[in-house]
Amino acid sequence: MTTNPSTPDRAVKPVHRRRLPGIAGILATGLFLVLALLNLIPLVWGVLTSLKAEADLFKFPPVIFGFQPTLANYERVIESGFLQNMQVTVLYCVGTVVAALTLALPAAYAFDRFEFPFRKTLLLLVVASIPLSLGAAALLIPNYIYFTRLGLTNNWFTLPLIYTAHQLPMAIWIIKGTLEGIPRELDEAAVADGASHFDVLRLVILPLSRSALGAAGVMAFVGSWNEFVASTVMVDNPALRPVQPAIYNFIGYFGREWGPLTASATMAIIPILIIFILLGRLIVSGLTKGSVKG
Amino acid sequence: MHSRLTGVSYVLPAFAVLTLVLFSPVFYGLWFSLFRIQYGAPTDFIGLGNFARLFEDPALGGTLRRTLVFTSFSVAITIVIALALSVWIHKLPPKRGFVVQMIVIIPWIISTVVATLLFRWVFVNDIGLAISLARAAGFGEIHLLNDPNSAMALLISVSVWKRIGYAVIIILAGLKSIPDDYEEAASLDGATAWQVFRMITLPLLKTPLLLVTIVLTLSNINTVETPLVLTGGGPGSATRILPIEVFDRAFVTYDLGSATALALVMFFGNVLLVLGYVRLAKWKA
Repeated sequence: MTTNPSTPDRAVKPVHRRRLPGIAGILATGLFLVLALLNLIPLVWGVLTSLKAEADLFKFPPVIFGFQPTLANYERVIESGFLQNMQVTVLYCVGTVVAALTLALPAAYAFDRFEFPFRKTLLLLVVASIPLSLGAAALLIPNYIYFTRLGLTNNWFTLPLIYTAHQLPMAIWIIKGTLEGIPRELDEAAVADGASHFDVLRLVILPLSRSALGAAGVMAFVGSWNEFVASTVMVDNPALRPVQPAIYNFIGYFGREWGPLTASATMAIIPILIIFILLGRLIVSGLTKGSVKG
Repeated sequence: MHSRLTGVSYVLPAFAVLTLVLFSPVFYGLWFSLFRIQYGAPTDFIGLGNFARLFEDPALGGTLRRTLVFTSFSVAITIVIALALSVWIHKLPPKRGFVVQMIVIIPWIISTVVATLLFRWVFVNDIGLAISLARAAGFGEIHLLNDPNSAMALLISVSVWKRIGYAVIIILAGLKSIPDDYEEAASLDGATAWQVFRMITLPLLKTPLLLVTIVLTLSNINTVETPLVLTGGGPGSATRILPIEVFDRAFVTYDLGSATALALVMFFGNVLLVLGYVRLAKWKA
């Protein structure tokens, strides 16, 4: 919904293309460095801490690079079962991405191409649910008591089900936005050739909406990987516990031992960073097209 | 007729999931909140008793006030910084602009738990990096997490740090959609850069800015993780904001009745914001 008529960045605004001269250039570089420092320091400092032995941690002034790196903190975190937490989270996230896209594509297709009763109302509900599904605290308690009542907590499907519902509205919205740009003549030609609606969806729409599916998928993966509140409340079996609540539990367990704490944080960031480096563009486009989640 | 049925059948599975997880709990919660809750189960019907008990709590006023302070400062600071950054990034050559954009968005892609944990490690009493730097710079011993005001300021900083990237992306998309000619024409007519920004760019950014404001307000008002991990609501109750209040009532003091009542009050607050959001979204749809 935020505007951008998807003109590729490099095609626009030759006016602003001029290089910044002299002082302005230095200022810009300075600003850039400050920004990079502010955004990266907590991360880099966390990673460095995770590689330190306990003795190096309490040194004053703090040692930045001059220490003997050790993997002891990682070993302790892994001994506490963090690899299982990561494994389970990967399964949850992959399940969520598959489920969310499988449900969202036909829904987006129907919203864009068909007339049916309550179409407008339902679409409105979808749009309203995009920001609502981040209402972590507000929805948490009703969600918890309802799921407890139905006996749906503490199961292997509990969290992927909840994540899917959280990610679905935005996925539908992102995909629908792209479908609007696919000419209806393509469907009509296919139908004239005897294709069913499902064939059109599978053979015409699906291949043309790959970039939207990618953006929605990446958003769903990152969103689920990072989810904390439902993950904490809805399962208490350690075998089903994903990374975010596991890290939170470590805070109680390791207390002021920042070595293992930062090691677990680093491990939790790695998959997200890999996705970010490979698919950063999709994240930006997903955010722009889906336009939600602060 | 055939296509009507197809349409319904294509949206049905998605709505089944949304109904189960998002919609029905609200109605169940409304019903549940009208009962006395013992051991997690509804017993006697007490009407609005849970709500009454909630509003009789003298501590709630303070919690509301702190939530307001936290949310308004977080949102306002995020938007001002993000707006300045977006205008700057927009003027950069595309390649460099993209790199800056990527760096700005890093805190946003990291989970709130991890981001807050790493932030806390930088500011933790005694051995935090920031504390050591302050000591080295001659500020003496400062314990930001021990003082009510600075703890709140830190809480706001984490929130701003975490969410600027999101705001930048949305505002930047808005900037890109403004045709070049507008600003060009104005500068040819002799308008200063500030006048162009104030009279042309800013009004044209109204929709993305409102959208960002609503989404940021929603996410700040509902954030359990940030105060939970950074301060646990402390020192004292200096950073105890609504989401923590709900979380505590439900899972620490096990008062599910008033927790549900409070969650529902918050939910309807959220709905009001969402209505504003939908209006803006529809404007684009």
